[in-house]
Parts: sequence; C-alpha cells; structure tokens
Amino acid sequence: MEARIGVLICDCGQGMQNIDFGALARQAADLPGVTSVNLSSDLCLDEGTKKMVSLIKDENLDRVVIAACSPDMKEHIFRDMLEKAGLNGNLLSMANIREQCSWAHDGEVTDKAADLLRMAIGRVRLLRPVEHREFPVSTEVLVVGGGFSAISTALRLSGVGLRTTVLESEPVLGEGAGEKEDLHGLDRGSMIAAAERDGNIDILTCARIASVEGAPGDFTVTMRTDGTETARKFGAIVLATGFRTELTPGPDALIDARELCSAGVVSQEQLLGMLSNLGLEARPAIVGFLLDLADENSRFTTLATLNNALAVKSRWGSEVYVFCKDVKVDSEGTERLYRETRECGVVFLKCDSAPEVTVDNGKVRVEARDVFLGDDAAITCDLLVAEELPFPVQETEVLGSMFGVRLDSGGFYQDENVHLYPVDSERKGVFFVGGCRGNWDIVRVLTDVSSVVTSVCGLLCPGSIQVDVEKVRVDPQKCVACLTCIRVCPHSAIQLVRVDSGRDAAVISDLACDACGVCAAICPAKAIEFEGYRDDEILAQIEAVG
Amino acid sequence: MMMDGIIVAFCCERSGYPAADLAGRLRLHYPENLRVIRVPCAGRVDVIHIMKAFEMGASAVVVLGCEEGACHHMTGNTRARERVRYCDTMLREVGIEKRTAVMVNISPNAPHKFVTAAVETSKILEDLREAR
Amino acid sequence: MIIAERKPMEEIRREIAPYKKILVAGCGTCVTVCWAGGEKEVGILASQLRLAGSSEGKEVVTLEATVERQCEKEMLAELRDKVEGVDAVLSLACGAGVQTMAGFFEDKPVFPAVNTTFIGMPEKEGLWVEMCGACGDCYLDRTGGVCPVVRCAKGLLNGPCGGTRKGGKCEINPDEDCAWVVIYRRLEKQGRLDLMREYCAPKNARAVKRPGRIHAAKA
Repeated sequence: MEARIGVLICDCGQGMQNIDFGALARQAADLPGVTSVNLSSDLCLDEGTKKMVSLIKDENLDRVVIAACSPDMKEHIFRDMLEKAGLNGNLLSMANIREQCSWAHDGEVTDKAADLLRMAIGRVRLLRPVEHREFPVSTEVLVVGGGFSAISTALRLSGVGLRTTVLESEPVLGEGAGEKEDLHGLDRGSMIAAAERDGNIDILTCARIASVEGAPGDFTVTMRTDGTETARKFGAIVLATGFRTELTPGPDALIDARELCSAGVVSQEQLLGMLSNLGLEARPAIVGFLLDLADENSRFTTLATLNNALAVKSRWGSEVYVFCKDVKVDSEGTERLYRETRECGVVFLKCDSAPEVTVDNGKVRVEARDVFLGDDAAITCDLLVAEELPFPVQETEVLGSMFGVRLDSGGFYQDENVHLYPVDSERKGVFFVGGCRGNWDIVRVLTDVSSVVTSVCGLLCPGSIQVDVEKVRVDPQKCVACLTCIRVCPHSAIQLVRVDSGRDAAVISDLACDACGVCAAICPAKAIEFEGYRDDEILAQIEAVG
Repeated sequence: MMMDGIIVAFCCERSGYPAADLAGRLRLHYPENLRVIRVPCAGRVDVIHIMKAFEMGASAVVVLGCEEGACHHMTGNTRARERVRYCDTMLREVGIEKRTAVMVNISPNAPHKFVTAAVETSKILEDLREAR
Repeated sequence: MIIAERKPMEEIRREIAPYKKILVAGCGTCVTVCWAGGEKEVGILASQLRLAGSSEGKEVVTLEATVERQCEKEMLAELRDKVEGVDAVLSLACGAGVQTMAGFFEDKPVFPAVNTTFIGMPEKEGLWVEMCGACGDCYLDRTGGVCPVVRCAKGLLNGPCGGTRKGGKCEINPDEDCAWVVIYRRLEKQGRLDLMREYCAPKNARAVKRPGRIHAAKA
C-alpha cells in the first residue's frame, strides 16, 4: 500500500532567509508517496500544532516528515502531536534545515535543504510503529555492603518510603569494609542502631550474592545465607562495598614491615585506638605524620591527618610534625581545619621530594628537605603515622563481573560519567556509592548517598517504568546464537533464551535496553532490527543524497 | 548517485550531532557539501553503511563519536574507530586513493571542532585529488 | 566450530578477474559465527568488489546470497536461479561449503574467498583460538582436556620441551601459553598428575585415511 506522507516545512518565524521555501515545497510535492506539503512559520507553537493535527486527520496521512529546526529542540513535541492525531509517534522523520543548513552556511542553501528533505522522506517510508508500555516495577531496593555508605543509603531510602534490604557479608553489620568514618568523628554505632530499629530496613548478615539476573525494576537476585539460597526480586541495586587501605611508610620503603611495627609506624586507625587507650604517662612525645607523598589525590588521608593531629595535640600535647608536599584543602571545611591545626602548634614541613624513612636505635627517623627552610629537617619520632593507599576490596571485582559492570584502572567501580552520572553504572538500575567507587572523602560520600537516593527514587517511586516495546529486536529465526551481542551489550540487556522450536536465541530486554544499536551493528547474521535505525533506514538516507 | 565532493557525516546523537547544531546556532560556517546522518551511537555505524556511502558516490565519510572514555555506551566510539580504519584499508586494498574514511572524537559542546573536522576533511579531499 | 579468515584481497581479485557477473555466496553457520563469511561479510565484500570495479572502469556486477549451510546439497537448491545468471561464484564458506557448491553447480567456477584455518572457539568476542586438529585419534583423556597436538607449537605428546619461558609461555611463541603448563595445572587441579608420568606413544598419523569417510550407525 502506497504511503501517505505529510511534509510539514517550517521557516521558524522567517528565521531562515537563505532558503527558498516555495521551491523546497514544490520539490517535496513531486516525490513519490508525498500526499501533502504544508508551509508554516510556527509549527511548534499551539496554533501550529493544532493545524498539524487537523491536517494529519483530514488528509489521512500515515507518516510525517518535518523540515525545521534540529530534532533535539522539538522532536518530542512533534511526536506527541502525531499521537494526538492518532498516529504512532515513531512515524516521524525530521530534516534539520535550520541549525545544520540555513544557519551553518553562507549564501543560498535551498539545494542542500532539498537534499536533507529527500533523506528524511526516504527514511520515513520505511519507519515502523513502536508501541510503549508501562512495566510495573518492584519498589524494593538491595544495598550490598554494611559500611557507612551502605547504612546511610539504606536509612535515606527508607526515609523516602522504599523498602531496603542490606546485605552484609560479615556476621555483624558494620564489621566489614566501609568508609572509615570514625576517622572523621562520625559514629557508626548510632547509625547501625537506627538501621536495626527501622521497620523499612531488612538486614541480612553472613549473606552473599550468588547470581543476579534481570532488568531495572525487575532484578532477581539469588542470595546465599547459612548455606541456603533464596531468590528475591528488587527494583534497584546499590553496591556499597567500601574500600580498604594498605600502609605505606613512604615511596622508598627502606625497612621491612616487622621493623616498622616495633619502631612505631602505625595507621590512622591504629592511632585512634591508641588515643583512646593510652593515657598521658604512656604518650609518645613526638608524633609524625606522612601526608600526600605517595598518593597526591587522597582526600581521605588529608582529613584524617588534620583531625588526628588535632586529637593528638589535645589529648597528649605531643610535638606533632606533618611531612607533606601540599595540603589539599578542597573538601568542605578542610581549610578551616587546616588553620585550626596550624594554630594549635602542629608543624607542617613542606618537602619537594620524598622523605627518607629509616629506623634509628629502634625509633623511626624521617628526614626530608623542607622547601621553606631550604635545608634538611630530620625528626626522630616516637610514633609515625604513615600514609595509606586506598585499594578496592575483593568483593568489588567479584560483584563487578557478576553484574557486568566495569572497573576503572584503580580497580574501583567506573562511573558512567563523572559529572552527569556519577553514581550510575552502565547497567540501568545498578548504582554504586562511596568507597567502592573511589570516593573516600566523607563529604563526597555523603553527596554520593544523596545522588543515589535521588536516582533510585526517580526510577522506582512512580511505581512503573515506561518502555518502548521491541524497539531493538532479535529475529529468532535468523539468530545463530553466536553470543556476540550478549557479550558486547554495554548494558547487560541481552540473554540467551530457549525459543519455542527448541533452539536458543538471543532476546533483548526492553527494560534494560538503552537503544544504542551496538548489537545491531555487530550481529554477524544481521538478525537484529533497531526501529528507526535499521540498515535499510540508514541506507535510504544515503541513497537519497543528490 | 551523489554530487562530486559530498562528505557523509555519521553523527552520534550525544556528541557530533549536538556539536553540529551548536555550530549552526553560533553561525559558524563550514563547507556546504556535508550531509549529516544521525545515529544513536557511533557504534551503530557499520562497515556496510560506510561502504555503501562510497558506492553511492561519497568522496569522504566521517564518523563523529564521543571522546575516548566518554562513550555512554562504553565502547561504541572505539568500535566505530576500528570500523572506519578497516573501511579506509579496504579502499586502499582496491586501489582507491582519492577518497577517505575518517573518525573524529568530539564533545557535544565543541562546535569549533566540528567545523574544523568539516573544513579539514574537505581540504584532505582537495589534496588527494591534486596528488597525481 | 570451523574458523576461517578472508583471503587477501589480491588473491580474491585474481581469482575472479576474468569474470564480470559474480554471485557472492555466504554461509549461515560456522563462518557467520566467526565473522568471516556470513551475510554481513558477503555484503561488505560485494560492496568492495563493486567499488573496485567502478574505480578501475571495469564494471563488476554482483549478486548476494547466504544460505543456512553451504555444505548441505538440499540447501543449495534455492541458489539455482542466481547461479544460472552469473559467470562465477565466490564462496565465503569453509572448504566443505566451497566444494559442495562446486560439486552441485559443476559447470560454474566456484572460488574460495576465505581460507579455512582451524577448529576452534572464541576466547572472547572476535578472538578465535585453535582447539582441535581433527587428527582422528583423540588423546584429550590423557591431558586433562587440553590438546597438545595443536596447542603445543611443537605438537609434543610427552612434553614439556624444556624451553618453556618465564610465566609459563611457549618457547616458540612467547605470546602463547605453554600447552604443557596448562595441562599440568589442569591435572594438578583434578589430582591426576600421575598421568604426566605415563608414556604417550606416537600418534597414528593415518588414523583418518584421506579422504575421510564416516559411516554412522544406522538409526
């Protein structure tokens, strides 16, 4: 059946003076399948859209081409308008004759505009309708981990009315890796107590994930607790497995670990322990800190050092020296903290190269060239708080491959986009927060938690997700089950499924699919059709170029 | 068949396409012989699309995708780059020297880079014609 | 499955040089899965040949077709009309497919566009590795499921050769694992290291009499 194409050309309030719209309209009218051509100056405004809807109905058009501004501007309005007129919103193709034609070139551009219009018409002939459907979603959230970020997230999610399950792998909540919030004076105990009391939060201990399947709003997670496996449904999953640190006495460690310990080299956490247990009699007289010499980027160590240096001064009154390259104060409140620490009498030695750390008579000696003194400074410390390098916990990698989400070069979860989607993974509905994604600065962890709660809420709170039905679809007859699309899909949206004839074929989940087309391009059997961007639809545009 | 000198530009909707729009909004001008085909990701562009563009007479094919590491679909841009390189090799394999396939990585807010890509590709074509 | 790789372009063009109208024929089984000769590759090769033809002023007309399996005579019948209308056939199937086509359409020259290389599997998407040499005398029971005939560069049956490099890599091919290291670790995991001490007699090189012919038991 011959298509009935309606061509609507808009001159955007006469904003395109270098196109002869009359000539353009005449050329369009001559093309096969074009039933009506209409010129307008205000297609996107109320008046314009109303006229369009009437036109579609009156002329019984079955698909529409709009030559106007960029689709990025008003395509959604025009799709709605098609729906209002009784047509599927997908049966629209736009020709960008404004931003990418009239405004981009000097002089007369009617010929190029005609080309772009022909390309859009060539494509519109082949477009097929795509239906939308509302999928009901599970509003339960799974939080994997039991540290600060995990519990904060659970409490906030519960606060917006979402039932949350916290999966802790240790026997007691909070025992495993977290974000070392005690170094920032935050109290884990009260948070855990609040979570345990919360009726909306379900805490599972000694629990691990065995497998995960499904799509956002509809994940099935199989959990192993006490040797039994249970499968549960969740709408969204938040990975909050924390991080761990390793002590590094300096970039060129000249002494072995045991010597270090006996010589009094400790971690920040060990220092905290000593502060609460050692009284003034047993206090170390001289305490040294190594700050950003091995790892320039650690906000965690900066805050911990400043806080703990103050604590040492106030509790023990010891002499405190901090060896550093710079003190990075970009976290909120850090500059004030630094000033306070200086005013308290803590001495900061700015070194331009790594200090030498040796053991001298059973005590640790730090020697470095101070930039301001212009001379070497050597301090023999009774206690040296060494730098710690952050590392991901083993769980991060295990869960990463189970969930099909990427790790960055440091082994932490790779966010989708550091500015736009900082807590999203490439798998819709799976998020990460806190230390496991490389954020050890407690202020950033708190921001992460807010971001995750907003994202999860946005996804689940409406109670359903609207999806395009079979926008990208595998033809099971053509599929040779080579598993290529399953392996390459960046959003873990494709699975191998037994189809009715007893063979296996790939099936794409409408919920999880992000409509990128990577699978359609790579399928060696040409079995995947991506509505709107099928091979023939792309080729029709190429063929139409004059 | 296409007019002589046409450059077919496959533009990813998250990078090349918005960059081209921005160039227009800023009234930055570039050669008229560019024809943009919008794709959801550079990774949607397949070898056959590029080959067919050449068969239909394109002098050059440019694929514009996101900057390295910034592809929303992880490796769409790297796949596109590999395919573009393969197409260019295939042209040389059959002795076609005066046409070219090029990959450009671009941010959505880089209209000048879009203009440069258009202008430079036109220049490359001119140079290829002059050689011989 | 069978892994193949496209022949160098000069070879393909040399094969079909005397002919004007060519059927570019793909196969929907092994060569589709290993990205060498499916519908996709047929389209690309045909396009490349047409471009070559028009750039040299020597027009090449191509027809394109892909059948489910080129090595099944029944499945070739559908190509009759197309084959009739061309001067030659360029097949992207493995050797078995090319020969079945050539035997079915005896009066038309049928040329191979791919080199059939080995029996293998995908180590990851796009990377195929050799697993089996079709020797007809399988020793995989003795080596924990790792074939020394094709995975050891020297094909040793009582390896390793003593030249294994650091990291368990092959002396000949430093990018590849030493197959005997892989075998050892596999047997170690299964607690069957005693097999390493068992002497493996040389293989019967004529276990499969060429040309091979198997008569399966009647159903």
